[in-house]
Formats: sequence, C-alpha cells, structure tokens
Amino acid sequence: MDNYYFHLMKSFALTDFKLKYQGSVLGYLWSLLNPLLTFAILYVVFSVFVRFQMENYSLFLFLGIILWGYFNEATFNALVSLYTKSNIMKKIYFPRTVIVLASNVTTFLGFLLNFIVFLFFVLFSEIELHFLSFLSILFFINLFLLTLGISYIVAGLNLRFIDTQHIWRILLQLFFWLTPVVYSLQLVPESYRFFFYFNPLVLILEGIRNIFLENIFSFHFYFISLLFSLVVFFSGYFLYRKMSVYFAEWV
Amino acid sequence: MDAIILENVSKTFKIPHDYKAGIKSYLLGFFNLTHCYERFHALKNINLRVRQGEFLGIIGPNGSGKSTLLKIIANVIQPTTGRVLVHGKISPFLELGVGFQGELTVKENVYLYGVLLGIQQKEIARRFDSIIHFAELERFIDTKLKNLSSGMLARLGFSIAIQVDADILLVDEVLAVGDEAFQEKCYSIFRKFKREGKTILLVSHDKSLIRKFADRTIRLHHEK
Repeated sequence: MDNYYFHLMKSFALTDFKLKYQGSVLGYLWSLLNPLLTFAILYVVFSVFVRFQMENYSLFLFLGIILWGYFNEATFNALVSLYTKSNIMKKIYFPRTVIVLASNVTTFLGFLLNFIVFLFFVLFSEIELHFLSFLSILFFINLFLLTLGISYIVAGLNLRFIDTQHIWRILLQLFFWLTPVVYSLQLVPESYRFFFYFNPLVLILEGIRNIFLENIFSFHFYFISLLFSLVVFFSGYFLYRKMSVYFAEWV
Repeated sequence: MDAIILENVSKTFKIPHDYKAGIKSYLLGFFNLTHCYERFHALKNINLRVRQGEFLGIIGPNGSGKSTLLKIIANVIQPTTGRVLVHGKISPFLELGVGFQGELTVKENVYLYGVLLGIQQKEIARRFDSIIHFAELERFIDTKLKNLSSGMLARLGFSIAIQVDADILLVDEVLAVGDEAFQEKCYSIFRKFKREGKTILLVSHDKSLIRKFADRTIRLHHEK
C-alpha cells in the first residue's frame, strides 16, 4: 500500500465518520447503543418469551449480534459509500478499491468499540479471560477479509444493477436467520447442521464463541474460514477491479 | 518528447432510451427482446500528439466530445478502441471542487480535496496558509462549506488544484466563475505553469482566452 493510497483511505474514512454523526446529539454513542438495543430486544424475545435454556446466553447473544452487525453494516455501508461517491468517480481518477476499503475500515473501528463493550460484560460474568482470548484476533482478520470481499462484489454490482441493494437487503435478512446469531448450532437438527458449515460466517462466529465461552480454539474452524475468506476476498477484489474501469460510465 | 499520444482513439456510448439500470431491462436486452439504447460516437479516430510543455486549446460546440477526450486522457473512462499513452504525472482534475463536502468546514475540505488530488498531507499543511490566502477565504476557515457562495467555492477549488505537483494539467472550463480580479490571478498562474514547462490542455468556449495562451488549438466537430 503506497502513501497516496493510505492517505486517501484515511481521508475517506475520516470523512465518512464525520458525516455520519454530523448534527446528531448522541453522536458516536449511537453505534454503541444500536447493538445494545438490538440485544435488549432479542434477549427479551428469546430468553423471556421463547425461554431458551442456555448457559451464558446473554454473552452468547451479544457476541452474535456485534459480529453479525458488523457484517451487515459493513457490506451495506460499502454499497452506499460507493454509490454516493459517483460524482467524484466521474471526474477524478484514483484507485477505486479505496472507497470500499475505507468504508469497511470505518465500520470495523465501530465493531472494535462494541467488542470492548463485550469484554466489559465478560468482566462482570463468571467467565474469565485467558491467553486464548487473544487468538480471537485471528478470527477477526478472517471476518474482515470475508466482509471486504463481499463488500467489493455487492458495491460494484450495485453500480451496474441498482436492484442489487434491494436484493442484498433481503439476502441479509435471510442470512441473519441462517446464521446462528440468536440460537445455537446445537439446536439445529443434525441432518441440516452440515450445510451450516458452508457459511464462513458461521465458522467465524462459532470459532470466536468457542474461544470465549468454551475456552477452546477450534483449529479446523479457523483454517476452513481462513481459506473461505481468502477465496472470497480475492474473487471480490479482482471482480471489483475489473468492473471499476466502467464505474464512471455506469453511474 | 511527447507528453500525450492518442492513437485512433474512439469512444462509443450506449445511450439508453429509457431508465435501464435494473436487472429486468438488462435481461431483456441480453435476450435481445428490446433495443432500448442507441450508439453515440463521442469520439471517432482521434490521433493526437501533445508535446511536453505545450499549451493546447480544445474548442468545439457542446456535445462534440471535448470533455470525453479529457476524461479518456485522465484515465477516468476507457476508450472503446485505440491507445492512450501518457508520459508524466497528470493532475487529475477536470472540474473544480468535485468531492467537496458541504457539511465539512473549509479547512477539512482543503485536506480532503488535496489528498484526493494526490497532494501529500504534510505538503497541504505546509501550504495551507497560501491556499487560503489565494482563495481569499481567511475569514471562513472554520465555516461549513455549504455556507459559501459558488464563487468562493470555485476560488477554493482552484487554489487547491494548483498545488498539485503534476507535469500535465487537464483544465475543463474552470474559469467560468470568479470575478475579474480572480480571473486575472488565474491567468498569472497559467503563465507561471507555462514558464515551468508544464503541459496544459485547456477546454474552453472563451476564444480570447485560448488565443492568449494556446500554442496550438484543435477543434472537435459533431459526427457527420
């Protein structure tokens, strides 16, 4: 990454950040409140109404919400960010890959803050942090690469087909329920469970949960999700680069 | 030494008759059920060599492909056929103040736009005062950009753009705004760039401006 690329990314990310909380009273607190409120709603529904019986369900759920929330927000923000930069792309040449990367980085910083909130919760629970907890960073890298690859594909396609954003919104909803965010994988009938492992997000989510809640580092989850993430990242990146030549004409 | 070489460059746009960005219309078009666009030849077999240090004026009626030509040289769009060779760093601006954010302050925008044009951040910080001074916006550094007049915006855009350390400048009708005093300042900058041996391509409808600066002028015509 050369100097120009880095500074451009920083500048885009900073602008995104400033514009997002411009004029709102609570400002950045919103990105902390958002997952907390989602958590409160889902917790009431599934723990009080549906009466899920599970150890540490609140931590289990909160981890699921912030990880899923990152994937959900990052892909959608990237799509919007590319779309709103169309006027610059029509006039100025700069590496188009920066836009999506910058947008993902901004969202990822928000995710890290949410993760600190999670660690704070952990301190007040019976669970203890171990050396193993640090290895969750490995899964975060997978999550970032996977999300970036998909962001590239979705954001690029959206410039060509404006329908993409509507389709993506529905797909996100579908995947929210196909990913064990609120329920545990153990509740899924064994005959279906096999298919869940083809969803790299499931591997990452379960991998991180295993680290914090079970104190296990699942090597096979890690390596398979790394492989998935790399494949998705590189396909997304090259597809996007191919499309980006025409961005100025499509928008 | 040539700074820019265009060989047989053509550009054809597909102009949709209707809104056609969705999948449905794409599929219909793919299966050839509808012909909902027509081809528009914006540029046809352009051969052009621009020497290093040359000031080239480009004139022609609206829609004759002047801006398309600059965009192809700037690598913003790709030619349909033909080859473009550029020696030297291009200043990537075709229009001033693209990417300005109304909700951010003048200062923030100077950095944002400067970085976008490829100026080093340290360099922007060093030249910040002279940028503001040239744009005559000393009193508005912390004002949100949306509160400035269009003349002020143009001045700010120009002041930042001239800081770019490029060998080739592509200028598309940027002097249409700004009062007479500011235009005079812009002319002196042009003269300075010319002395420094920069290659400049200027698109303009202003014949006197072209006559004043251009070493050579090309005229683009509508397709016959």
